[in-house]
Parts: sequence; structure tokens; C-alpha cells
Amino acid sequence: MAAVARGDAAAFRRLVERHVGWGVGFVERMVGGRADAEDLVQTAFLRVWQGAAKWQPAAKFSTWFYRVLYNLCIDHFRAHAAPTEELDEEMPDAKPTTEERLVAAQRVDRVRAAIASLPERQRAAIVLCYYQELSQSDAAAMLEVSEGALESLLSRGRAALKREMQSELH
Amino acid sequence: MDKELERFKSCAEAYGANPRRWPEADRPLHARLALTHEGTAILAAAERTDLFLDVWTAAPARAALAERILDAATEPAPPRRRRGLAWSTAAFAVSAVFGFVIGFTQVQDEPSSELVSQVLVGPAGLPRIGL
Repeated sequence: MAAVARGDAAAFRRLVERHVGWGVGFVERMVGGRADAEDLVQTAFLRVWQGAAKWQPAAKFSTWFYRVLYNLCIDHFRAHAAPTEELDEEMPDAKPTTEERLVAAQRVDRVRAAIASLPERQRAAIVLCYYQELSQSDAAAMLEVSEGALESLLSRGRAALKREMQSELH
Repeated sequence: MDKELERFKSCAEAYGANPRRWPEADRPLHARLALTHEGTAILAAAERTDLFLDVWTAAPARAALAERILDAATEPAPPRRRRGLAWSTAAFAVSAVFGFVIGFTQVQDEPSSELVSQVLVGPAGLPRIGL
């Protein structure tokens, strides 16, 4: 980050390449769409580039960057009434080629919708701990809660998902 | 339910069936109770939610995205000063012409209606301004 603060483009490139993958994965699961996720991740990295001189190394870069991404997701939710649902980029507008692909896409859409229906902090807790596999301490630090509160968010979020799964069976 | 089993259930409900996601301090508990009758049932319930979540796999980030980010971060800012200077120069020139015309007409004994007409209102507009 010190090199990035000095305007070292090569250092910034290394930073981007190291963190863009998980950043997109996290944001996509938070906002529900790949195109929006890429735009938000780009915005986050631009803030890193422009604000690198002010970065205080009190925490790991990844924890701090998660926080930047999370705040951008919150701003995105406020700007949009409902999570945007996007067509699967791999699915052409024409009929799917096989029924299996259609069924698989529908299953993903159900999971996507179920996660999108969760309150933001429960959603973030599940995305961070289940999908991103952050440790409890890192996830709690990112959400600025205690580890006990994080566990409570996870339990409530997973209970809501379970109800959602069960309601589909009836 | 004894306290150990209660904690086991809480962890399964929060973190899922896989001990990889459990708090490090609770993983020995997973090892002790996973294969018990109650433990198996608790983990099976948690695993149903895990399997549901596992359906949504994130595709890897496109290489093009990293390039897009780098291009956006390092593109030069537009040359604002030059544009501003051109506008300032033009505005000054126009002001200077009008200033000259107004000043010239004021120092004459009679207003130079013809010059005013040519610069400001055109011949047709003279009656409107009392000339």
C-alpha cells in the first residue's frame, strides 16, 4: 500500500490482481448480479488508488477492503429499490440448449433470490463466513460486531434460508 | 440436551456442517460429537442448507476487469486549464469590442446610431431603442 500511495502503478496492479477475484465474488453475492458487482469493485479499487496516501495500516488490507466493498453494497441497495436480477451471462436469449442447463439456472436463481431476501447484515454474515470463508474474527471485524453477534446473524440468516427452502417444497 | 451438545447444535446452525467453517475453539467438539446419533442428525439438517448455498458458485473474475480497473485508475485527467483559458480569452475579446463601442459612442457629441446598430441591435431594431 505504501508503494501504491507513491503512485506505483505496478504495485497497484499486483494489489488488483490479488484481490479482484474474491472482491467480485463477495459483491456479486451481496448485490445479486455480476455486472453491478464488477462496477462496484472497480469503484472500490479507484478509491484505493486515490486514497492510498491516507490509508492507516491498523488492520489487514483485505479486512479494510471488505469494509469498502460492503459500504458500496449498502449504497447500492439504497439507490436501488430491489436487488437487480440479471440474466445469466452464459444463457443466450434464445431457448436453453438442454433442460439440465435450464434447471441449473433456475436453482441458482432460487438461491440468489433467497440470499437477496435476507436483511443486509445477515446476508453479509453468510456471504463472508460461508462463501468467502473468512474467520469469525475477520468477519466480525469487517461488520464491526462481536463474534457472538456475528454468530447470531449467521443463525438467523440460515434459519430464514431454511424456511425459504421448506416453503418451496410445499 | 447437555451443554456440549447445545454448543454443537449452535455451531452447526450458524456455521454449517463442515468444521472448516467452525470457530477454531469449537472444532474439537465437532470431532467428538459428529458421529453420535444426535450429532449426525444435527449435521444432516445443517448440511441441507449448505447444499442449498453450494448451488450458487461464483465464476472467477474476468482478466479484462483487472485491466479495466488499471486503465480507469491511471488515465490522465482532461486538460481543463487550456479549455478555460480559451473561453476566458474569447470572453475578454468580446467584452473589449463592446467596451470600445460603448466608449466610442459616449465620447461623440451625438450618438453614433449607425455604429450602435451595426454592433448591437441591427438597423431594424433602432426604433425600439429610441433612435
